[in-house]
Amino acid sequence: MPDAARLRLWLRSVGRSVFRVGWPRTDKDRAAAMISSFFLHIHSAKVQPHSLRPSYTLGLGLLSFYLFGVLIITGIALMLYYIPTPLAAYRSMKDLQFVVTFGMVLRNMHRWAAHVMVIAVFLHMCRVFFTGAYKIPRQFNWVVGVGLFLLTLFLSFTGYLLPWDQLSLWAITVGTNMASYAPWLGDYLKYLLLGGNVIGPATLLRFYVLHCVILPAIAVGLVGVHFFRVRKDGLSAPARPEPAPVEEERSGRFPASTRSYGLMALTDRPALPVEETDPEAEDEVMAWPHLLYRELIVLLALLVVLHVVSLLFDAPLEELADPTRTPNPAKAPWYFLGLQELVHYSAFIGGVLVPTIVVLLLLLTPYLDSAPRGVGVWFAPERRWANWIFGVLASVAILLTLIGTYFRGTNWAWVWPWTG
Amino acid sequence: MRLTWPMTRRRFLFTTGTGAVVAGVLGFLGATVRYLFPNVLYEPASRFPAGHPGDFPAGEPSFLPDRRLFVFNSSAGFYAISSVCTHLGCNVRFVAGEGFACPCHGSRFDLNGQVVSGPAPRPLAWFGLSLSPRGELVVDERRTVDPDYRFKV
Ligand code: HEM
Ligand code: FES
Repeated sequence: MPDAARLRLWLRSVGRSVFRVGWPRTDKDRAAAMISSFFLHIHSAKVQPHSLRPSYTLGLGLLSFYLFGVLIITGIALMLYYIPTPLAAYRSMKDLQFVVTFGMVLRNMHRWAAHVMVIAVFLHMCRVFFTGAYKIPRQFNWVVGVGLFLLTLFLSFTGYLLPWDQLSLWAITVGTNMASYAPWLGDYLKYLLLGGNVIGPATLLRFYVLHCVILPAIAVGLVGVHFFRVRKDGLSAPARPEPAPVEEERSGRFPASTRSYGLMALTDRPALPVEETDPEAEDEVMAWPHLLYRELIVLLALLVVLHVVSLLFDAPLEELADPTRTPNPAKAPWYFLGLQELVHYSAFIGGVLVPTIVVLLLLLTPYLDSAPRGVGVWFAPERRWANWIFGVLASVAILLTLIGTYFRGTNWAWVWPWTG
Repeated sequence: MRLTWPMTRRRFLFTTGTGAVVAGVLGFLGATVRYLFPNVLYEPASRFPAGHPGDFPAGEPSFLPDRRLFVFNSSAGFYAISSVCTHLGCNVRFVAGEGFACPCHGSRFDLNGQVVSGPAPRPLAWFGLSLSPRGELVVDERRTVDPDYRFKV
């Protein structure tokens, strides 16, 4: 054999050791590629056309995930310059802004992605609610989602202190004092969070470790569980006529309604084609390219937009934190301004009571509203009441946040945004 | 003959074993939580000299920004009022003739630090004073006092 051909063969074998299937050219190969890849097998090989419709998911879960990825990558890059002690922290911010090449862009991307992620996760939650997707069998995945929502907020909140400027110091002062209104535990909670009685180096270090290690680790774990469940349960879809249970289900050899029984049945009874074990499979389409390419386009669009925004708009950095001088007004991060608006009437109601009730209601949603009706379509008439209640509460939350952000000025007095 | 205990040997061992593991885990968790509460704080001391009595002009408040504290030199004596708003911890400003105003959520306090309006749940803190051997006015933030407190030098 000529040497060139042998070399080609050798290279090919190296390539195949990494990518078992190679670039797939047939549907069969594409399915094999999806199943054999660590990164791709989070998808099933075939998906229902219903789950591809952008108008159903609005791509919001995917977007949240991408933003989380962007935040991890840009965050790690920022960590290389960031020093978590009071004066040095602020200096690192200034360095990133004026000294480090592309430091500003990275910081902007991290900041804007964090803001957008809060919005994306909130909207994703709204989407899941309005399509009734939290109903059986997805109740617990909603609960996992609520955990992710809270983590997203807490991640943003802990990150807010790190620049150690006036904005961050006073936002965190107001925020951590809200915790101290919790009955019995409040003072301990605040002491624990601050690592002392006042915001200082110990606080900054604690927030740094929470922001860079503890919370992201928990979030990665929960996202894993979240995705695993979405994969196992399949994306919610309008009810279809029940397929007749296959023999193994009737005899209880494997459980009904897991997405894996089709495969188990395949290995168990190789004589049966997939279509007969899973009647839904007929109208399913290949995940590669239909799902994969859509996901890539969303990623590409997000990255382009994020870059443009980060090149055009700079993340804020005020003066060095000064515990002796409170800016007027002192505002919490924007996603807490709804709460701050309530806190302005009563610290206990806004800081403790309302958040606790909201979180409990969210956690219990799938168990309080358990009738398996109206799943898989937006605003199903069977779920009119649930949708109304959620819609009104979500609107109130948005309204309060807008008021706190745009309509409150000096001394928290009412102002019109255009009189600025 | 077999002894009939309330439980079999296997069950007994399983129960004590499980109990030991649970106790161990709880102890470990408890220790971890305790670990998170620091014993020594490298924070400014809560008892500190604020300056010589003569440094404080009579009749008007002196603001010590690093201490977040107002010191008053009245004809009846000295007194010290914290500038930390009891609502959510912002610094209140002194408004001559009126009292104190908080920039964050608009709480207002009278000249004695008592709440006049706004969300603040408690009056501003008053701290006890003393004189150091070197003749300096010493503020003790751990000793709160009533608003009729005056310290004669
Ligand atoms: C870090 C935050 C989150 C990420 C990255 C994430 C990601 C995803 C993704 C990629 C999907 C697939 C469908 C879609 O794109 O819409 C999904 C579905 C789902 N998510 Fe999330 N999610 C997050 C937070 C939440 C929250 C806050 C909730 C609700 C409280 C939630 C509840 C659900 C449920 C129930 C499904 C199944 C929906 C269905 O089958 O139609 N997730 N999530
Ligand atoms: S912190 Fe003073 S009114 Fe809220």
